[in-house]
Amino acid sequence: MSFVVRQIALKSSGEEIVRSSTYAMREMTVGRDSACAIHLPDLAVNPVHARIAQGADGVLTIIATTDQPFAVDGRSTQQAEIDPAVGGELAFGGHRIAVALDDDGERPVLTVRRVEAVSESAEERDMSAAYSLKGLLPGKRISAWGFALFVLFAFLAFPIYSYATYKPLAMNQDARRPDGIHGDSAWTSGPLSISHKALNNDCQACHTQAFVAVTDNACLTCHTKDAHNHIADKARLVQARGEPAGMAAVQRAVAGAFNRPAGRCVDCHTEHEGAGAMPATQQQFCADCHDGMKGRLPDTKIADAADFGTAHPQFRPTLVRGMDGDKPLFQRVAWGPGLQEDNGLKFTHGQHLSKTNGIAQMVRRMPGQFARSDALACADCHVADSAGARFQPVDMETSCQSCHSLSFDQIGGTFRTLRHGKPEQVVADLRAFYRSTGPVRPANLSGMARRVPGDAARQSTAADYARALRFYPGGAEQAINQVFSKGGMCNDCHVVTRGGTAQTAGFAIAPVAQNDRYFRKGWFDHKAHVQSDCTECHSGAATSNKATDLLVPGIDGKGGCRSCHVGGDGARLASVSVKDPVDSSCAMCHSYHMDAGAPWVPKNDRRKSEGQIAGRQTYRSERDLRQSVAIAERPRFPLKPH
Amino acid sequence: MATTPNKPAVARKTGASRQRQTTHQGFLTHRNMYWAKLSGGLALVLILLYIFVPLPGTHFGASWLGYTLGTIGALLILWLTMLGMRKRAITPGRWSLKAWTSAHVYLGLLVTVIGTLHSGFYFGWNVHTLAWALMLLVVASGIFGIYAYATLPRALSANRYDEDGAITEKQMIEALRSLDRQIHDAAQPLDAQAAMLVGRSLEQDPFGGRIWNRVTGNYPDCATHSAIVELRALRASRQRTKDDLLGRIEAQLSRKEAMLERLRQHLKLKSWLQAWLFVHVPVTFALIAALSAHVVSVFFYW
Repeated sequence: MSFVVRQIALKSSGEEIVRSSTYAMREMTVGRDSACAIHLPDLAVNPVHARIAQGADGVLTIIATTDQPFAVDGRSTQQAEIDPAVGGELAFGGHRIAVALDDDGERPVLTVRRVEAVSESAEERDMSAAYSLKGLLPGKRISAWGFALFVLFAFLAFPIYSYATYKPLAMNQDARRPDGIHGDSAWTSGPLSISHKALNNDCQACHTQAFVAVTDNACLTCHTKDAHNHIADKARLVQARGEPAGMAAVQRAVAGAFNRPAGRCVDCHTEHEGAGAMPATQQQFCADCHDGMKGRLPDTKIADAADFGTAHPQFRPTLVRGMDGDKPLFQRVAWGPGLQEDNGLKFTHGQHLSKTNGIAQMVRRMPGQFARSDALACADCHVADSAGARFQPVDMETSCQSCHSLSFDQIGGTFRTLRHGKPEQVVADLRAFYRSTGPVRPANLSGMARRVPGDAARQSTAADYARALRFYPGGAEQAINQVFSKGGMCNDCHVVTRGGTAQTAGFAIAPVAQNDRYFRKGWFDHKAHVQSDCTECHSGAATSNKATDLLVPGIDGKGGCRSCHVGGDGARLASVSVKDPVDSSCAMCHSYHMDAGAPWVPKNDRRKSEGQIAGRQTYRSERDLRQSVAIAERPRFPLKPH
Repeated sequence: MATTPNKPAVARKTGASRQRQTTHQGFLTHRNMYWAKLSGGLALVLILLYIFVPLPGTHFGASWLGYTLGTIGALLILWLTMLGMRKRAITPGRWSLKAWTSAHVYLGLLVTVIGTLHSGFYFGWNVHTLAWALMLLVVASGIFGIYAYATLPRALSANRYDEDGAITEKQMIEALRSLDRQIHDAAQPLDAQAAMLVGRSLEQDPFGGRIWNRVTGNYPDCATHSAIVELRALRASRQRTKDDLLGRIEAQLSRKEAMLERLRQHLKLKSWLQAWLFVHVPVTFALIAALSAHVVSVFFYW
């Protein structure tokens, strides 16, 4: 009974060295201990790992000495039998032991071979790879392809797919894409303004065709009625803008080359500017056309304007220029000092605001009844309207009548007054007064009152009374004449002519027209100027002794707007000195869609613009703020075309 | 005679001396920082243009200056990408690779200014801002790369030097192999429990670990370290013998641990030198893809 143990070692060249030894014993040990017959210098092997015993039939029985197993033909076990005639392979740690019979077929041969290196570090390895990040990170090439393809798919292919899918919805006012993720929404350059919010998810609503700039037709799909008409002739609009110069011309040319024509709605109404309201019109936006427009559009009636401080035409207030029946005829006249407007009244501001005449004296005698105690003030007659922007017409009953009384009779403690504004009623009332009343009946004509004795006195009194009674109604005409003529209460304020009908006893009152708005192309808000004294702007009021004097200020001169207001960027004429300049761009007074209200201001900017208009004025409450400007909830569209 | 004292100085100035000084000039300071000055000047000019050129206050990218900046920026990005091809051909002179790299670095920094001005500081969740963000990511990784190239090689050298001189990468592996062999031989008499601990140390790949371990140089699962700790505990619990086998093995493992520490520091520094490129290069291609989508989308929804 013996074993042959062949230990195979490898030279560095790869050649094998075989050391063969024969052990004449029935049983031998396998282990790391050098005393073992099969000595395996392997730390994964126990000092005595297993015993190999040869049975009588030549079959080898291998039994592990501890719990640590070994492998037989690749399977881990604690005990195994191997017939050397059949052969088998044992594995202990990094060693393999092949079992076979020797050439004679007599003795079992155990061929021991180390198959694993002593340590991991001893393994062969590619140096350059080992010291790099290879295997630890995905390769640069693969991730470059991966990222690039992902981006191209998600942000190019998918959006184009979305566009192609929903293209048929274009040019349809009510067509909306379903909610959800649409690839082309990743292409948006910013959210749409509030008014177009509903279209945020519907790119094809405006971008109807690929590589074709947004067309006016796309806008008109929805804006069927409210598309404005600043200038009906689009060619004139383009002409007014003039040819772009410099780099803008280059851009225009390039845009043209890239299929982006000029003069479309979206040239001015830009979108994707953020989710706010549409932005306020910028001064440049107006000046693009209106600066030097006369040169480009010689037949225009509009004067050139570029900046309030330096290049703005003189104001042209709308004045009453005569009457057509009861309706005033208005005319825009260039403002100038000494401009006259006849409103039909004889009222003089200087006389009424005087601090020394009888009017002032009367005010002093009636303390507490007027705004001031020493003379009349503006507010005694002029009352702001509900918005505060302008003033209500001066009302005779509330403003004038306390002095210019129309009383003609007193019954008990009650005064009877003539009807203002109705001259035929005045005439009728006076006639009725004289018809229905009589002279006071003398006391000695009636009853048992004491009287002068004798009939003569009584007859005389009766005759007098009868004559008085007979002629009493005739006094009406005299009274009427008095009232309408110089010195009469009508004639104090009104221009009275003799051209009336019989109803008015031949008298006629010249019609009165109070001009409620002088600047109809621009916006002026008195509420924004409440911090200022009235006479700062209406500087002639205290000294005007002519009823027709126009007290509305112009752009320049004393009380003119340029006394405080400078251009949008603070520009002003060299001749003007301004103490507290207020930057005033076009949009402060003008609106593209001008109507009876205040210029439109974006909701976000309202408070700011409010402050801008009011200068340093601070509002006490939100209500005050709201009253100061009639705030439009949306851009207004013109009520009538230019 | 009066002139003699000056002569040696003159001689040195003519370069007749055999001493020659060669200073390495890196790509950062190439040509007295020509490209840095050029880029800085251009950035200043562009910012001034952005501030002072009167343009409509709408989308800046859609103005003539915006389109110009966008076109320049896109072409510049493509040119910057070309460094990957250019670097494979090393040439001297004015258009040397060094000059090219210098231009790459400083024009790459300039592209952030161009791209940001082109955006008009108008950002959103869209492909346009995506391209801008990817551009910043690429430039940021590039800046990190420059920082790494400027500082880490010194640390790398310092790590390789010890009192016996420098050690090469190959020598590091050889040293570990040698230590492993010694430990393996010494550990043969050990009992099964101790042998298993030592065996774990030998079987652990010194180059193993994940990217996180590599980049931080922190290996909490180091088998060598745990073998030392456990052997120490084992040794303390056992009766002291004359032949302190465990003590010797522990000492050898400690030497291996020190060597591993140095190797891992080396790997960490090398990974920092390389890792930024794994962001810089792939994101560049993602950027070019996003840029293409950006340009197409602008013209598509014109």
